Amino acid sequence: MKLEDKIFKWFDDRFKLKELLTPIIKHPAPEYAVTNPLYCLGGIAFLCFLILVGTGVFLAMYYKPTPLEAYKSVENIMIAVPMGSLIRSLHHWAANTMIAAVMLHMMRIYFMGAYKKPRELNWVVGVTLLLITTTFGFSGYLLPWDQLSFWATKIGTGIAGSIPIIGEYISLILMGGTDIGAETMTRFFAIHVMILPITIAILLLMHFAMVRIQGISGRL
Amino acid sequence: MSLIEIEKHEVEEERHEPVRIRGLPFFPHFLLREVVVMCLIAGSLILMASLYPAGLLQPADPFNTPTPIYPEWYFLYVFGFLKFWTWNIGPIEAKVIGVTLPMVLWYGLLFLVPFIDRNPSSDIRKRKFAVAMGVIALLGILYFTYFSIVHH
Ligand code: HEM
Repeated sequence: MKLEDKIFKWFDDRFKLKELLTPIIKHPAPEYAVTNPLYCLGGIAFLCFLILVGTGVFLAMYYKPTPLEAYKSVENIMIAVPMGSLIRSLHHWAANTMIAAVMLHMMRIYFMGAYKKPRELNWVVGVTLLLITTTFGFSGYLLPWDQLSFWATKIGTGIAGSIPIIGEYISLILMGGTDIGAETMTRFFAIHVMILPITIAILLLMHFAMVRIQGISGRL
Repeated sequence: MSLIEIEKHEVEEERHEPVRIRGLPFFPHFLLREVVVMCLIAGSLILMASLYPAGLLQPADPFNTPTPIYPEWYFLYVFGFLKFWTWNIGPIEAKVIGVTLPMVLWYGLLFLVPFIDRNPSSDIRKRKFAVAMGVIALLGILYFTYFSIVHH
């Protein structure tokens, strides 16, 4: 018996791995989903998400969420931290690619009619995922605290603030006051690295569980 | 005449009987394709990150407004629509409409898509209305994105 077989057997004896893994491994994927690259888009969005988590944790170790230090700490990541420039740029590119992939994924679902019975709720979870993904982008944009972050956020919170009825509260909760400052920064940071990641993780679990239970929808 | 039509109808119905779909096992076929695509994407991301690093402009200055101010590209259409819509409707200000339509109404419609479109067919030729709406929405978003760049 080879070493890897021995290791597998050791775990299999204890955790019944074969019983658990066989249905996953043998689960058939329809041929058109394997040959048509449009079916990759959801997976590409998920890959980007994983890269964002990895690079994001790295950035959070060097980033300081205060108006006085934020810019300097990002500058430090770009200049002094080993591989810092690459990691931050990767975070930037993965973020934009994820948004594009999610939008294209949604277009594939729409034009193929893959949201129809029984997948209605998975579409609803999907739209929430799109909202969360763009909110990730919005909250992350402020963090470097450069001219564009500051002024684009000023306009963005202004726009959110002029939504009737709820807008006032949204902008108050987002900014932690009436102007963009230290409160806003810590709030955006908390939203970007705590609230949104936890929410998206839960929703992605629901999304994948539903795809798994319902299978990939039929042909075009 | 009518006999022929009935026959034609029958033939047509036959074609729409459930088609047998060929399946490939998740492992290794599906996973292999997935791994190849993921490697290509990861490689391209690293390449783009090295060639075009993320930027960092001047530090934020609350007393000095720069021009032009661009949001992220996926919010441009909201900016564009806000600039485009300059008409008050009765007591409702143009600005409120310009914000509500591309955010609240647009996302509200998106959420409701499966409940608005009750057509059970997923054959693209039988979904002319849904496809037309999709194309119009897409062109609209592209147009307002373009509008926001031209009129910044
Ligand atoms: C964070 C973003 C998202 C991720 C990571 C993701 C991931 C995935 C994956 C991996 C699949 C399997 C099939 C495929 O890849 O095409 C899938 C299916 C699906 N997704 Fe998403 N998705 C996301 C956002 C969305 C959005 C925005 C929508 C629509 C509004 C959506 C609706 C659906 C539906 C209805 C299915 C089932 C499709 C079918 O059975 O053919 N997803 N998603």
